[in-house]
Amino acid sequence: MKKTHIILILIIALGIGAVISTIGDASTYVSFDKADKNPGKQYTVIGYLDKEAERNYDPRSGLFTFTAIDKDGEKRVVVYNEPEPQDFERSEEITLKGYANDSVFVAEQILMKCPSKYNENNQVEEGDNVYYE
Amino acid sequence: MEYINEHTLPGQIGQLAIVISFVTALLAAFSYYMTASGREQWKSLARGSFYVHVAAVVGIIAALYYIMFNHYYEYQYVWQHTANELPIYYMISSLWEGQEGSFLLWIFFQAILGVIIVRTAKKWEAPSMTMFALVQGFLTSMLLGVYIFGAKVGSTPFILIRELPEYINLPFTKMPNYLEMEQFQNGRGLNPLLQNYWMVIHPPTLFLGFASVLVPFAFSIAGLWYKKYTEWIKPALPWTFFGIGVLGLGILMGGAWAYEALSFGGFWAWDPVENAVLVPWLTLVAAGHLMLIYKARKTNLKTTYALVFISFILILYSTFLTRSGVLGDSSVHSFVDLGLNGQLLLYLFFFIGLSLFLFFYRYKNLPKSSGEEKFWSREFFMFIGALVLTISSFQVTFSTSIPVLNSLNVVEFINPIRGWFSMEPLENIAPPIDPIDHYNSWQLPFALVITFLIGITQFMKYKNNDTAELVKKILLSLIISVVLTGLIAWGSQMDNRLYILMLFTSLFAIIGNGDYWLRMVKGKYNFAGSSIAHIGFGLIMLGALISNTNKEVISKNDTYIAEGFPANENILMELNDTLQMGRYNVVWNGESREGHHRKFHMDYYKQKSNGELEKVFELEPYIQMNETFGNVAEPSTKHFLTHDIYTHITYAEPDEVREKREANEGYGREADVEMSVNDTAVYAQHFIILDSLSIASELSRFDANGNPMSIAVKAHMRVVNVAGQAYPAEPIYFVEDAGVKHIDADIEDIQMRIRFEDVDSQTGKISLKAYQYVGDEEDFIVMKAIIFPYINLLWLGSILMVIGTVLAIRHRIRKSA
Repeated sequence: MKKTHIILILIIALGIGAVISTIGDASTYVSFDKADKNPGKQYTVIGYLDKEAERNYDPRSGLFTFTAIDKDGEKRVVVYNEPEPQDFERSEEITLKGYANDSVFVAEQILMKCPSKYNENNQVEEGDNVYYE
Repeated sequence: MEYINEHTLPGQIGQLAIVISFVTALLAAFSYYMTASGREQWKSLARGSFYVHVAAVVGIIAALYYIMFNHYYEYQYVWQHTANELPIYYMISSLWEGQEGSFLLWIFFQAILGVIIVRTAKKWEAPSMTMFALVQGFLTSMLLGVYIFGAKVGSTPFILIRELPEYINLPFTKMPNYLEMEQFQNGRGLNPLLQNYWMVIHPPTLFLGFASVLVPFAFSIAGLWYKKYTEWIKPALPWTFFGIGVLGLGILMGGAWAYEALSFGGFWAWDPVENAVLVPWLTLVAAGHLMLIYKARKTNLKTTYALVFISFILILYSTFLTRSGVLGDSSVHSFVDLGLNGQLLLYLFFFIGLSLFLFFYRYKNLPKSSGEEKFWSREFFMFIGALVLTISSFQVTFSTSIPVLNSLNVVEFINPIRGWFSMEPLENIAPPIDPIDHYNSWQLPFALVITFLIGITQFMKYKNNDTAELVKKILLSLIISVVLTGLIAWGSQMDNRLYILMLFTSLFAIIGNGDYWLRMVKGKYNFAGSSIAHIGFGLIMLGALISNTNKEVISKNDTYIAEGFPANENILMELNDTLQMGRYNVVWNGESREGHHRKFHMDYYKQKSNGELEKVFELEPYIQMNETFGNVAEPSTKHFLTHDIYTHITYAEPDEVREKREANEGYGREADVEMSVNDTAVYAQHFIILDSLSIASELSRFDANGNPMSIAVKAHMRVVNVAGQAYPAEPIYFVEDAGVKHIDADIEDIQMRIRFEDVDSQTGKISLKAYQYVGDEEDFIVMKAIIFPYINLLWLGSILMVIGTVLAIRHRIRKSA
């Protein structure tokens, strides 16, 4: 067998290894219900901020508490170990990485889809009307 | 209808320039194609139309800057990205804040490179410029902003706000004087996150890098086309390394930006957007090195072709990833879908198809490698290095593409595979929960191999090496590296074996290349390029390793929260309080305003040997106040030669909250209560009961006819604690000609204040505000501080890598001239 063949086989093996490990490491988007069934297990939940509910950052304990609604419409209180992310109240969608415990969802990381980051929506206000692009 | 004060002419000129640039790009592509197919008479038309194209591109930029600098807010792009108060350098950089403008920047650099190719490429001009013009045609079509058979083609920066489809028929679009309205007097301005000098230099560097990847691609296609399968490598080589240098610099600048100004708390987070630019760079480095091998040894031509193609295609794929909105759920950068996905995909698949077709059409004619290469040879080790870079790029690309895979519904194929490894099936696939861990577990071994190869390969000759001789040559570097590794690992208490190995290989890369340059090529300046660039790469890896593994968050908050809760990395600081953080004592001694910046003065003290505290330095992290976008906190970092101290304000009480508290004599935690007579409310573990309302006649005055001139209403209330003890409270609501007054009821025993806010005469309900005394609370901030040791190695390495690349390119150009 030629050296190039051995290398080729090694490369392919590594490539397959990378694919499989990615498949193994991949997480999944779930609902709060699903996260509740396995307390302590890491999940990614996509939902949006409940803007009606109270948001509270307590600087003394360092905890930010808010309510999120997942894609099934389930509401959960979420605690986050960092101050309120910038522009949080403007977010259209939030991705929460974390786990459920018996009372709340503990977010370790929050990603926001925000209309005001790079190419945000336009907002031209005219009187009482607010128009969104 | 005539609109007053609208400036539509510059926009029309700009739009015309877009159309001209598109048409001339296609014309140039076609006539260069004819020229390349042997019809020389087409050449002057080809060149002419390309020059017109370049002029039109400059015209688009000029028109866009014209409307921007004149603050013509009738244009959506101007309104969205600029503002009256923006300083000139941010006005310049707001051109590339939007998607349209960043396409334009890319088009511009490609046009400039095109001109250089026209002037210098000689016989390669026609075929490579065919590719250039074709790519320019695709890119300028992204700016057209027209609808063809109902499909949106491109998005123009010259659209007027009133012409936006979503505003059609709204009342303001029918007002001739709509531009006099308040909201058209100023734009939204540049996002404060982007108001940083990196915004001025990072995107242009990156797009110049993007543009330069087209050159080797165009030359390689030209080689296949002209059946000059190998000659294209020589002219393309300096360009490839130009691309490696510029794109590499652009990526590192992005890292520096993230580290300096954004609150990532590091320079690299494996964010999809960072990855998207990294992967073409990795394959381009591989391609460049294979081209070097080919020049010396005439081997691995097919792999060289493949990697040049892949690099360019990965640039297009990155563009698709970052601009299609597909990464929306997985990146901290967010993107809005401009509705151009179809166009982006067409662009991507066209060039994939073209390169695959040409490659396989010519495949059997491609010259074969002459014989088998020896194991102990420079070319073989470089080849292995190139392959490792390619797999590394593949791994990053695959993991970053998870959102794409998810939208393609591949989860059905994935679940059986997960099944073999007895993992639970997924409903859909999301990126790994801990991306840093996921990527590092693969990329660390790759980096390990690469740095080792960088160290050893320089010492090798092409063809064949006597192993005994090779060992003799590298022995010195090996010994020094091993000793240093031992010392550093011991000194920094590194115990992870993989990290120690990585420490060794990166030291070996640095020392080996230095040694090679000094001893083997006798420090000759001409040959310094590759050694310096490789030392730079080694330093980047070393700096990344040490600063990441020994990074120390010194602001850890010890407050116990709950079992299994991640430790809080933020700490609360009261004004003038001293807190110990790592080896420092930190004091926040106040804040000040400078324009839109709310600056926090942080003093860092160190304990001297006699126990006294000595101020070592101060930092001023700040919050950028921005009403349109919300406030943004920017970190401040103290740079020492051996370590950086990064300080970031994660929370500061907003002015309104603080002012309210101060205006209210120290009463805070305001709560609104609405109640009728005999209602009970709960506040701060007390029941508040409203017993009755009465007119406080001693405060009310009446005129001669008995009509009230001023009237005061008193609420008779009780506040009852859990033990049942009641405290009376009688707040008064007072209306007179001058307005409304409140006489608050303070219950000193329980430090509560109740304000009678308003009466609703319809329902008879009254509104109250309840407060608790919080006057003892000092002003406070919440901050995060991290020490990054030896991160300067990384920056030094970045600079050396760029310098080395420049030297190497210069050497190549001189040699070929």
